Amino acid sequence: MTWLPFLIIIPLFGAFSMPIVSLLKGKAKEVWATIVSFATLMVGIQVFREVWSKGTLLYTLGARNPFGKADFPIRIVWEVDKFGAIMVLIITFVSFLAVLYSIEYMKHDTGLEKFYTLILILELGMLGIVITGDIFNFYVFLEIMSIASYALVAFRNDTWEAIEAGIKYMFVGSLASSFILLGVALLYGQYGTLTMGYLAVKMAENPTIVAKVALALFLGGLLFKSGASPVHMWLADAHPAAPSSISAMLSGLVIKAGGVYAMARIIFSVFWPALNPITVGWIIIFFACITLIVGNAMAVVQEDMKRLLAYSSVGQIGYILLGLGIGIVAYGTKIGEIALAGAIYHVVNHAIMKALLFLVAGAIIHEIGTRNLNELSGLAKTMPKTSFAFLIGAAAIVGMPPLNGFASKWLIYESSALFNPILGAIAIIGTAFCTAAYVRVLFTFFGRPREKVLNAKDPGISMLLPMLILVLAIIVMGLFPWQISDKFMIPAARGLWDVLGYVATLMGGG
Amino acid sequence: MNDMGLIVRTLARATIPLIGIFGAYIVSHGHLTPGGGFQGGATIAGAGILFLIAFGLEEAKKRINKNLYSALEGIGGLVFLGAAMLGLSVAFFYNLLWHKGPILNGHPGSLLSAGYLPIMNLAVGLKVFTGLVSALMAIALYRRWQK
Repeated sequence: MTWLPFLIIIPLFGAFSMPIVSLLKGKAKEVWATIVSFATLMVGIQVFREVWSKGTLLYTLGARNPFGKADFPIRIVWEVDKFGAIMVLIITFVSFLAVLYSIEYMKHDTGLEKFYTLILILELGMLGIVITGDIFNFYVFLEIMSIASYALVAFRNDTWEAIEAGIKYMFVGSLASSFILLGVALLYGQYGTLTMGYLAVKMAENPTIVAKVALALFLGGLLFKSGASPVHMWLADAHPAAPSSISAMLSGLVIKAGGVYAMARIIFSVFWPALNPITVGWIIIFFACITLIVGNAMAVVQEDMKRLLAYSSVGQIGYILLGLGIGIVAYGTKIGEIALAGAIYHVVNHAIMKALLFLVAGAIIHEIGTRNLNELSGLAKTMPKTSFAFLIGAAAIVGMPPLNGFASKWLIYESSALFNPILGAIAIIGTAFCTAAYVRVLFTFFGRPREKVLNAKDPGISMLLPMLILVLAIIVMGLFPWQISDKFMIPAARGLWDVLGYVATLMGGG
Repeated sequence: MNDMGLIVRTLARATIPLIGIFGAYIVSHGHLTPGGGFQGGATIAGAGILFLIAFGLEEAKKRINKNLYSALEGIGGLVFLGAAMLGLSVAFFYNLLWHKGPILNGHPGSLLSAGYLPIMNLAVGLKVFTGLVSALMAIALYRRWQK
């Protein structure tokens, strides 16, 4: 008996029962969403422990094994390896905190039963992406995630910017999704199967040009979803316009689950036998370098606080893609392993710290009602706890040694410098911009108070508690950087490289 | 206000039950004939939209209750999930009603066959019908063009 199906059942049950629960007036829907997301977090922890004690999990929908009477998989399978388990844990954790935060943050808005339904659906879509081992199932979950996030970005539909950002995100996002669907259709037409592991087998037997076209379509779509640079423009609009708890999920989770994780999964577990690692890896490194520079440099010049954080997300995605790209080119070497482990580590770290920073931004907007940094001078005097949380988050994101961002960035710097010094230099330049952006914000916060700020105060407990938990997570993870890296991130990177193991788990029938 | 003329309304009165019955047929025979939950649900929703257009918004507002429709949509989803969970002792989506089940394991091709499929088709049909009708009502009720 595995806990894995409950990862989907519980959020789905929560979302479907939300319209009925919300017929009870009062706080029923908030309480229900919190309970459901907390239960999902518990299941996420269980699944993580299961994967870590027993190795890659294989779960077949509809029967005990994926084969039936055939000798190839015919059913939808879910396959969770170590990287997937890490993603499950971080998604359930940040989603729970975002729901908890929304209770107070969203209390002035209307239509909240839809909000909580959508937030659970968003969590469901991301969990589905990281556990699935079937490429069409992956597409379906990707669309669940994307459509929920389009609706959530445009949730405050009485503001012009939410509508504008929602339309922009939806139009280009649907186009990106349709690229992925086209890729799935091409693969199915060529190889006649939709199971990821078995596609890898068929591709090893017969690598075709169709597979390369499909890979190009997948890469295009997924680079869009992860906010890589030439197509990052939706992100810089969507994150500021969304409610802050949603920005925390979008920036912390959506671009990683639907972008980076999916890219790593598709490249390593599906296309690995057919692709040329050097070409594909350098394509990703190329986009990573552009993303690094553009994202971080644009963050420096922003005056809108959430826009700054959104561009900083773009910049951090650049680091993650850089690690991923080096992990592809330097397959099988120590450098590649460190790079990939650093990328996975940075996914987790960035999810935690960017969620914290967006929650802080939300608290400031909630209390003062402006996102303009020029009007927020002297915030540290009147909102000390919030400003402290921002200080920790900012220090972590630029990679100060006692905090968690240091270790993951160090792994990426080290591997990129060993791999190619130019890439190392680009990474350092990105961090220099990133530091400039955050130091600028901190100087504003610790400056002389302006009138607008004088009457502000720290938010209530249900907004402070998620921030506190995230601050604690940053500090505690920062105390054991190398232990976490050796115990979790390096094995996860090795598991991602282990294409044969992934296929063997599937074909062995688990 | 803004309803159609007498001929359209009379014809709508005659055709709405026919469309509804045909949609119900598509939903309930989803496991035997082409069609199924989505197609049938969309057909029934077509009857609802015909009602909305022929009789006008005022009449539709009286007959269509927002809470009822959103609760029914939730119930449709819950029934689908419940049917999928029946065989959880073997696997999620294991068709227990077909392998062991009380009623729905008749001879293939008869109405009471295919295990949980008819239940799921009904659930999806309900969800699609209520969802589409609510969405179109919400659009129809949206602010007027100018003021």
